[in-house]
Amino acid sequence: MGLLPLLLAATLKINGSTTVNLVAAEAAENLRAEKRMSITVDTQGGSSGGISGIGDGSIDIGMISKPVSQDDRKKYPKVVFTETQIGEDAVAIIVSADVHAGGVKALTKAQLKDIYESKITSWKAVGGPDRRIVFFNKEPGRGTWEVFVHWLYGHPRLAPEVKHPEVGGNEETRTKVAGTKGALSQLSSSWAENQPAVKALGIKAPDGTVIRPTNENIATGKYPMSRPLFLITNGPPKGDARTFVDFVLSPRGQELVRKHGYLRLQDLKRK
Amino acid sequence: MTRRLDVVRLWSLAFTLLAGGAVLAMAVYLGVASWPVLRGEGLSFLTGNDWAFRKERFGAAAMLYGTAVVSGIALLLAAPVGIGTALFASEVCPPRLRLAVKLLVELLAGIPSVVYGLLGVVFLRTVMSDLFERLRWDAPSGDTLLTAGVLLAVMVLPTVATLSDDALQSVPSSVRDAARGLGLTRAEAVHGVVLPAAAPGLLSALLLALGRALGETIAVFLVVGRAENRLPDSLFSLAPLVDAGQTLTSKLGGAEPTIALGDPLHTAAILGLGLLLLAVVLALSLGAGALRARLALAQAHRP
Repeated sequence: MGLLPLLLAATLKINGSTTVNLVAAEAAENLRAEKRMSITVDTQGGSSGGISGIGDGSIDIGMISKPVSQDDRKKYPKVVFTETQIGEDAVAIIVSADVHAGGVKALTKAQLKDIYESKITSWKAVGGPDRRIVFFNKEPGRGTWEVFVHWLYGHPRLAPEVKHPEVGGNEETRTKVAGTKGALSQLSSSWAENQPAVKALGIKAPDGTVIRPTNENIATGKYPMSRPLFLITNGPPKGDARTFVDFVLSPRGQELVRKHGYLRLQDLKRK
Repeated sequence: MTRRLDVVRLWSLAFTLLAGGAVLAMAVYLGVASWPVLRGEGLSFLTGNDWAFRKERFGAAAMLYGTAVVSGIALLLAAPVGIGTALFASEVCPPRLRLAVKLLVELLAGIPSVVYGLLGVVFLRTVMSDLFERLRWDAPSGDTLLTAGVLLAVMVLPTVATLSDDALQSVPSSVRDAARGLGLTRAEAVHGVVLPAAAPGLLSALLLALGRALGETIAVFLVVGRAENRLPDSLFSLAPLVDAGQTLTSKLGGAEPTIALGDPLHTAAILGLGLLLLAVVLALSLGAGALRARLALAQAHRP
């Protein structure tokens, strides 16, 4: 029976970020077909799910869209979190189309801070339509949220408590912003490309220049919220996990990274 | 024969103990596992309105409030429609149509809750926010406690309708015949005789529907907004209905259980929410049982 080898083989369990998932899911499809590997890919809890899964040993590879923090390492002292970068993208600030059409194309860091802390509550205050700002905050634990507050406040623990409605994965974020007038949220930049109902804003630097989350600006590190995408393991990847990580790093795997809108390792122009 | 009967008695007793034991074991486990947070927070686990796991503060008042409001709206909307449907199916419509009505209601009950959730996200959210805009209600988006309540109402409707129909059907037809024989119209017979006789069953239908509403997770999760620590100044304020909120289940369905892994106090707090949910549903079931027994007793003593 065709199923028997699948049942007998140990399953490679992968869980974490919905951003990295696009690449990992397609890589898993290839490896299932070509090497008869048994792989499950899940997105429970986003990046925090990837970290806690590696932490308690329930998965083999974690997908995360932010670096492993000192707090994460402290929580699981016996685990050697090993990051393998597979690509890069950025956290884009997205708004619903009506806000963009109403004149808001970019925000400064200070404006974003005030909006996050509900000191600014109308788009009128930042040059837009006279409409309430509806902030769909990425839930804590999501890589996107951590990168965002890290940029605004220096550390997730320094972020003030807010009472915005929360959203989870990339799909939900995009759907809710698209379907709500005056909406704002944080989203993986490539998920915001070529969307009719959702527009990515630029970040306005103190000198007035607007930096948009383009591939060029992410590659050079000019856009402030660029972030590495990782596969993580407990210690260097071994066995099936090694096969999987190597595949994603190979030219074919990197092509999948590019296909889903993220930057390949060779595209990065920093350091 | 008696030997066989004893075996049956033994087995059924064993399974009953197993079922009861499982519920008890769950409650005890949740109680023990959430003890650190119950001891640390005390009563403010229930009354405190600040849930901030990074600062190790766990007050679930806003979630309790959200759960109560959402389930309350669901029941308020589903009760008249559900009981009305049951009255139509049981007392009014011709027998051949009755089958079609019952089939339709059962179809409604068979729809997986995630499908309701998807309909909620792509359809109901938009409808509600358009409605709020037209009525000039100050609602920031379609993700509100009211939206979740309306969605839940549709979901518990089949429970109310089916169980209410059972309750009405359990009233013997001789009772109806007698009432009609005394010269009452159909409306008078239903109002004065059938409905009172079925009342305990109707009440239990509503309580079971409430239990289902309290525990529903994914559909509520997708439309309730999941905004933390929102509690109105007054319990009777209607403003929170058209704003985002959080329920016990939407919190448990989110990312926090996975974040909590590896952190004993946070895990205890999350399990504490599970304990709260279990306690409320158990209390409801016990209350329903007691009430039904009392009403049935009153029925039996009616002259």
